Amino acid sequence: MADDILKLIQENVIQGRITKDDEGFDDGMAGQPGVTELIETALAQKINPQDIISKGLTRGMAIVGEKFEAKQYFIPDMLASAQVVGAAMDILEPHLAGAGAKAKGKIIMATVKGDLHDIGKNIVSILLRGAGYTVKDLGNDIDTSTIVEAVREEKPQFLGLSALLISTMANMADVMQALKDAGLRDKVKVVIGGAPVSEEFAKSIGADGYGADGFGAIRVVESLFNANAA
Amino acid sequence: MLIIGECINASNRTVAEAIARRDREFIEGITKTQVEAGADFIDVNVGAGQGTQGQAIEGMEWLVKTVQAVTDKPLTIDSDVPGIIEAALRSYRGETVMINSVTAEPERLESIGPLAARHKALLVALAMGSEGIPDTVERRLETCETILTRLTSMGMSAEQIYFDPLVLPISVDSRQGLVTLKTIERIKARYPAAKTVMGLSNISFGLPSRKLVNRAFLLMAAYAGLDAAILDPRDDKAMSLVRISDMLIGKDALCKGYIKAYRQGKIVD
Repeated sequence: MADDILKLIQENVIQGRITKDDEGFDDGMAGQPGVTELIETALAQKINPQDIISKGLTRGMAIVGEKFEAKQYFIPDMLASAQVVGAAMDILEPHLAGAGAKAKGKIIMATVKGDLHDIGKNIVSILLRGAGYTVKDLGNDIDTSTIVEAVREEKPQFLGLSALLISTMANMADVMQALKDAGLRDKVKVVIGGAPVSEEFAKSIGADGYGADGFGAIRVVESLFNANAA
Repeated sequence: MLIIGECINASNRTVAEAIARRDREFIEGITKTQVEAGADFIDVNVGAGQGTQGQAIEGMEWLVKTVQAVTDKPLTIDSDVPGIIEAALRSYRGETVMINSVTAEPERLESIGPLAARHKALLVALAMGSEGIPDTVERRLETCETILTRLTSMGMSAEQIYFDPLVLPISVDSRQGLVTLKTIERIKARYPAAKTVMGLSNISFGLPSRKLVNRAFLLMAAYAGLDAAILDPRDDKAMSLVRISDMLIGKDALCKGYIKAYRQGKIVD
């Protein structure tokens, strides 16, 4: 019974359906319960919210990631699924404290100084929220000193930096140096991304990880998170 | 519609490597192909961050000379670094030149604006300011107003300015196609002497069948009043649609341009 409803939640994440009125990616789904209705039912059946997240939402999102990487799914599909997870988390959050669940971790996101591009960073932020992280998005064109100050005050486990321009990616190196100077470098894992950025560039500036696309970023953060937890 | 060939751009790795090793044959080839395909301007972009600005300047000077050795078509100097633009203009021969680009950000407007005014260049002006790309038509128009006011006070005329309404991916926000199209309409209505230009490919980011989406958007933009497009002229279907849209919106008297292109085998179904 519990497994059935969790499976349905997972399927509806993949179909991008928030409520029963939504169409899915496949035809003929309108009218069947969407994720919000399914979660209300699951909670009424006393299913553990943590199981709803891990076996329903997170597993569904992982499959969306696989489909995206196989080019069966595209950005709008991914955003639809991420919105479903967001709506689901809004319902689940009040129940989590009672269930003794702990948040996965906090991540600060920013597009570096001089760079006004925020679409990539926003997509990664949405996916991280969908994966259960608490995300604080500083915005774009953010001064190095503002980023360092946010790391000092918020004490996040992760810092995500984005740049779309060849001329601004150098500012990522500035942030790395400023974190060192402030004595904060070993307090936070830094993951970078953006069109001109590469794995080699990440290594060269001493970042902890590089995400080639939205799901790549989630994968890197998850593996760093698990390595840290182990 | 004026066509700006976009292929010589260092954000493409193959091109960046060709520039780095000063591969004359490669650059000559890609220049000639674009001209033969119907490009009116050839865009040249050397990037910035890799290496020093001195290296980027040398790269740009070499690129301008190399491209101009094989064509008389004017160039579009594609950079937001005044030093690189200045170097390109120094190496340049010919009257007509376009600079790509300036924004309403004061530091760019005050550095690139005077350069364009002094060289009597055409100037691409992006409808954005210090806050990034506005997501509404009204706010994009405000940045155009800022730019036009400042550039005319520097001695430029509206005819020299090519406003880029900017294109955000439709995959991320489904209203953005209309924001761009309406911005074009409003710019043309408010500043009839000014021109409009845009790169098409951003609209289809994150979607399948991107070229088809780009071509459809090209037709809609032509109707909205787009004067120039930055695209890959080697896409013969897109170039066919450029000629067809000129004809359909009354820019091709007696359909001569279209029929001529057809006789040359340049209209591809």
